[in-house]
Amino acid sequence: MTHPAQVDAQALVDLSAQVLPVWSRQLASSRDQSEVAVAEMLAAFTEIGPHLDRAARQSHQITQALARGDDGITQLTQACDAVLRPVMAGCTPQASQAIVKVMAMIHACVDALEQIAKPFEHETQMVSQQVDRMYRGFQYQDRVSQMMTVLLNDMAHLQLALAQPDTALPATEWLARLESTYVMPEQRQQHGSDGNPGQDASGSETTFF
Amino acid sequence: MAQTILVIDDSSSLRQVVAMSLQGAGYEVLQAGDGQAALALLDGRKIHMAICDVNMPRMNGIEFVKAAKALPNYRFLPILMLTTESQEAKKEEGKAAGARAWMVKPFSPASLLTAVSKLCLP
Repeated sequence: MTHPAQVDAQALVDLSAQVLPVWSRQLASSRDQSEVAVAEMLAAFTEIGPHLDRAARQSHQITQALARGDDGITQLTQACDAVLRPVMAGCTPQASQAIVKVMAMIHACVDALEQIAKPFEHETQMVSQQVDRMYRGFQYQDRVSQMMTVLLNDMAHLQLALAQPDTALPATEWLARLESTYVMPEQRQQHGSDGNPGQDASGSETTFF
Repeated sequence: MAQTILVIDDSSSLRQVVAMSLQGAGYEVLQAGDGQAALALLDGRKIHMAICDVNMPRMNGIEFVKAAKALPNYRFLPILMLTTESQEAKKEEGKAAGARAWMVKPFSPASLLTAVSKLCLP
């Protein structure tokens, strides 16, 4: 006679044998789709990347050219000041006023050049910061993929274990083995029930040996 | 002539991101999907540096470093480990194998290029 507990255990094994492969396929499909999405975005980024680089370079060149022009006009203003100041004392009031007016116009020209250069500098910096963020963003797919692969492998492992009815399944050992396969701090944090969600991967730290 | 860097990672998107950062700075890039494929590229050609992931199928990054260091032509090849692994024990393993530096992903292009400029052979 079959004991009710044995019936329940067998039903659970049968259910798992059917359900686990479905979960695995769904997870694998999610991972594949996220890879396709990132590959698509990367392909687009590869296309626009050189244009962004060129725009940043041109913007930088324009800023430099404007700064050179700015320097040139500043020097011209100083030279004019040096030449005209001594002779202004001997000029008629009308001539003096005209010189002061011309000098004010040259100074205004310097200010205008400074105002033109500022936005270019700002744009270049902004584009470069956003490109940096995109580079970092693309790398998260790799992390998601690695986390999903660990789960998929564990599900396959469970499926195999359930197919062997006499195998003992001690949870502590199982979890310890699972934990040993983790490669990221987030995985280790989430492993315990006191996991702290939402912590960003900082990365980028370099240790030289 | 541009310096050549070998990038080894089983994630094609990661390889692409690294390659784009390096190519943008004027380096030439060779790519391999795991340690074994990378070893096949160490066929006598001039490679100035390698950037290698740790967890990969067939041959992992630590095994690759050991195998590369055993090749006379590539004994002095500088290798930067670029990985999601940040555990000290793993870093020590990489150091013992012969890696020159360890960088944790996600990386910023600027910090990658700084490390590359420090390690890359002339």
